[in-house]
Amino acid sequence: MQCREFRDIADSYLGNELIVETNHEVISHLEHCSECRCELAARRELRSQLREAFIKAPENQMSEEFGQRLSARLHEQAFGRSVTPLSRRGWHPSVTLRRTSWLALAACLVLATGFGLVLVRQRMLERSSQQGRQDLAGREPTPSYPAQLNPGIPVSIVKTELARDAAGDHRDCAVHFRLAEKPIDLEVAGRKYDPVYVNLTKAVLSEQGDVPLGAEFVEAHSCVFEGRRFAHIILRYHGQLVSFLVTEMGDSKEAKTNAAPLTNQQAQVIACSQLDGYQVSCFQTARHAVFIVSDLPEGDNLALARALAPSVFAHITRVESAA
Amino acid sequence: MFGIAPTRESQVTVEKQWTAFEAEAMPHATSIFRIALWLTRDQTEAEDLVQETLTEALASFHRFVRGTNCRAWLVSIMYHRHSKRRKATTRLHLVSDAEERIAETIAFEAPTPQNVTDEEVLGALERLPPAFQEVVILADVEEMSYKEIAAAIDVPMGTVMSRISRGRRLLRGELASYARAHGFGQSGQRRISRVSEESVRES
Repeated sequence: MQCREFRDIADSYLGNELIVETNHEVISHLEHCSECRCELAARRELRSQLREAFIKAPENQMSEEFGQRLSARLHEQAFGRSVTPLSRRGWHPSVTLRRTSWLALAACLVLATGFGLVLVRQRMLERSSQQGRQDLAGREPTPSYPAQLNPGIPVSIVKTELARDAAGDHRDCAVHFRLAEKPIDLEVAGRKYDPVYVNLTKAVLSEQGDVPLGAEFVEAHSCVFEGRRFAHIILRYHGQLVSFLVTEMGDSKEAKTNAAPLTNQQAQVIACSQLDGYQVSCFQTARHAVFIVSDLPEGDNLALARALAPSVFAHITRVESAA
Repeated sequence: MFGIAPTRESQVTVEKQWTAFEAEAMPHATSIFRIALWLTRDQTEAEDLVQETLTEALASFHRFVRGTNCRAWLVSIMYHRHSKRRKATTRLHLVSDAEERIAETIAFEAPTPQNVTDEEVLGALERLPPAFQEVVILADVEEMSYKEIAAAIDVPMGTVMSRISRGRRLLRGELASYARAHGFGQSGQRRISRVSEESVRES
């Protein structure tokens, strides 16, 4: 290893981010190069000094008073008690919120009067956004499931934008909870948007309230990702968050493709793929697509999908035929 | 969450949840406050941001995967909150492309200067373009891994790695310029090098 190469990777060496072989090369270079040893020591020292200086800088200190208020406020929130103002400024909504509250009020009035117009506009935007996503539907996902586990899989919805939306919803809602629109109660969504959502949680859980395979129920709600509404049940399995998502195919391309009634064989197929780094298993009914998305290994994700499929499939088809 | 009346069981669950949150998340309050302060550059706004972050974290604590880095999880929530606030106030986001091109032009790398004061180090950090400051703080001050930083600030890991590398290089460059301007150049460097070598031998 040359000195120049060493200097390029010295920081990664300090941060333990190098692979073992490169680490050995660095150590062997350091054994006979005193200049690089000095450079490494200087960088280590600088990093340590930067950390100390930043942490100890008086302007970066959180006041004790704020710390106490914060802790008290969170404690009250956890136990569902009313919030007592404790601070010099009282406990308050954010500064931004206060500054803009009169604007928000005005906006509400405008929204109330022009609600009809907004709805029309939103529909138009959703339509164009869906069109855009169809155009931009990036790389093809890899249908990754070995044939011996799922013989003759017709790779249908698992390769589509629906599956991409499901993976996106898992990422933005279950993992990062950064959806633009706040999720709503699943039963409420069932009454308002899709009757399949009503009692869907019961179809996932056993009579005793357990999830198959010892998975743990985390929460259930309905959320919207890029204009598409999902029933979203979040589970934890082998320490990982798993999203169980149901969405109506509606006027989508997939629905048109599957316009012919599903044969019993097709209906029982669970297809698997990998999308945006997540494992996606899915199956479908006449009008709905069901996705199981997680960071789990393929086998575990599919096993969970298989365990959930019978009761969920029965529930959805029952509601679909009653409609 | 679903409007169930509180029972003794649910009370126990709430207590357990709070105890876990207090043990896992609350110790990171000072750390995320520092990052909030850097993001907002305003004490009051930083307090608001920390409040919002921890409130959201508490409400979503059942989603936190035990055994993973809780601070990284909190930082991730905070960046999301901050991004929403910034959008709400319609401030313009700095475009990093030009900054990265500037950093690309650094061809020569001077040896890392020493004997610089804390103020000089913080001053040099302050002069870095924000995109580089951000990753240097998260990596070198808050000691987050590349992967955790990528998840928190929502950029690809390769970008994080290159920004950290360039950010550190820029920081050393800033300090080296300062050292040259204030007359502790080569001779000073040699003097410091001897000290460093001794410390290497000792370690």
